Amino acid sequence: MKISFKDVKAKYRELFVVEKSPEEKNKPFDAKKAVKDFWYGKPHEERRLGDLYVGNTGLYKHREWRGFMDTMYYFNMIWLYNYAHMVTDIMKYGDGPKGVFEFAKGTMRYRWMGQTYLTVMHWFDRGLEGVRGDALKASAWHYRGMVSETIRQFMRMFEADKKLHGGEENELWKKTIAHNETLSGNIFYGWRDQLDDVALEMIPYFVSVHVNNHTVLNYIDAAQSIGLPADPCPMCQAEYGLFVQDDYPDYSPVMLTSNEACDGSVATSVLQDWFLNRPLYAMPQPMRYDDPLVQEHCQKEIEGAWKFIEEQFGIKMDWDQYVKHAQSFNKLTEFEWEKWDVAANTPYYPITGVAQALYRIYYSQDGDRPIWHEIDAHVKAIMDNTVKNKINCFPKTRHRAIAWSCAPLYYSHWCTWAYNCWGINTVINMDSLMFDQYLRTDTYEHALEDLSWFNEKAPMRAMAVGGHEHILSLFDYMERFNCDMVIMYDQLQCKGMQGIHGVFEDEFRKRNIHAIWIPHALPDKRTVSRAEIRDIINDYMTTVMREEPLDPTLLDFDDSMSW
Amino acid sequence: MKTIGKFFFKLIRFAVIVYGILFAVFYFDLDGKFLYYIWEPFMIKRFDNMKRADTLKTPYTMKDNVE
Repeated sequence: MKISFKDVKAKYRELFVVEKSPEEKNKPFDAKKAVKDFWYGKPHEERRLGDLYVGNTGLYKHREWRGFMDTMYYFNMIWLYNYAHMVTDIMKYGDGPKGVFEFAKGTMRYRWMGQTYLTVMHWFDRGLEGVRGDALKASAWHYRGMVSETIRQFMRMFEADKKLHGGEENELWKKTIAHNETLSGNIFYGWRDQLDDVALEMIPYFVSVHVNNHTVLNYIDAAQSIGLPADPCPMCQAEYGLFVQDDYPDYSPVMLTSNEACDGSVATSVLQDWFLNRPLYAMPQPMRYDDPLVQEHCQKEIEGAWKFIEEQFGIKMDWDQYVKHAQSFNKLTEFEWEKWDVAANTPYYPITGVAQALYRIYYSQDGDRPIWHEIDAHVKAIMDNTVKNKINCFPKTRHRAIAWSCAPLYYSHWCTWAYNCWGINTVINMDSLMFDQYLRTDTYEHALEDLSWFNEKAPMRAMAVGGHEHILSLFDYMERFNCDMVIMYDQLQCKGMQGIHGVFEDEFRKRNIHAIWIPHALPDKRTVSRAEIRDIINDYMTTVMREEPLDPTLLDFDDSMSW
Repeated sequence: MKTIGKFFFKLIRFAVIVYGILFAVFYFDLDGKFLYYIWEPFMIKRFDNMKRADTLKTPYTMKDNVE
């Protein structure tokens, strides 16, 4: 193939040159403004962020210039810092420099690793687009926490993995508990000093979709390729698709599963029982979870799980360990409440909607780990500063929104776009409000009772498919967080939420609430694209709200092939 | 003394050059472009062609109940 100079020039323009708008081209050069823009960054309305994209790839011709201080912060404390710490984390969690080899083996063996996680800095870019100052710093710390914990988990998987060690059942394999990603890590606190617990699908499926949504499509297609139906929740399809493709790490002698979020997960348990072919304990949680009659049953299920672990590993549950980690986790809960208080009652909350949602669901599902405390200390220092100095972190806010139901995993950063384009500030979301349970540790009975409640308030159970009394708590939270708009996620393959669509429509009309429905298929971007989601919001904002966009270049752009 | 000074000058010059290169990689999203146009297609090819165990051959039998 002959490549001409013209081709090279065209490619260079496509990849690196930001075309100026006709108005900008005709403007005389203003040196004073150029210096000001260099130092402070362009004002929100002049940023033209949509011009920075390379075609439909989501890549940047160049990363955004956020002003000198913020660009340097992003370069040094986010980009460089995180790349460097990824290497140190791999070594830290991989037992020294040999961890790098384990990591390389995992990268070359598993699609969800090799194709997905190396693109992680673009996950930061998408979630932090247009963000400045303290909001940039605090939100980036949330991402750092999630990256570090992801590395800890996959390094444990790789080190214990039979598939990466010639079928050998090594010591780590014998000391690792595998469990479903919707089964909370706090169940296993009693063994944290002797065993480790790692959710099986959290890293291969859930987090991977946020980082790079290309990979998951393989698993959904694999599930359907063996004749399994295409209409259940695609989360469950992807979870068992991992097994159909033999792309799961074999790092534990046992498996504990759950029926959370719905009966689709029951199918996942059944299929995992088949594919894993090893001792499996299913710990179901009732749909009508707050019925007093089911409490004793829930507690017995947890005790059953504990007994199962004791029998399989031959290690008794250590009550002191449980108390230690439950009390430590309570500290995370206390800080979460402090964050909610600031978010609800002030404009000084320095965290983007996507950072808030992902970090909260990640750590509350994962349980007590040192990294969460480290991150909370950083965020607390920043938030104390914004509150003390009354710094409005999202000054272009026109609407304070609450996002309800489960979000599109392939477009969890839509709220960053919505703020940049329309000034819609997603203050809080449903996923953040789950697991809202303090864990008492004064007696065994209290501990079991609270632990049971904690797990009953798991994702999508407490406020989604867990009964219609709870889904309407949206309106209480809307008032509590001073929101004037609802972003209502419409997971097209969630039968539970589809069944109550009309109830919400009626309530929104009755209460005269601005609500924008966002249809999506959780991890699968092929059903409703990101561009279609933006179109729906654009249409509502122009036709119903009659507002003008803050950045018109973000109205219509193609990111169909982006991560 | 002069030699030490020269060494530090060289070291600082090296560090400044490396820092400048890294900033260029960051600013022009060269890491993203490398991963998107080179790394990911290579990985897709690798994983698409990888020989995998046929997990459907896993026996499906009744197991003992776990109490």
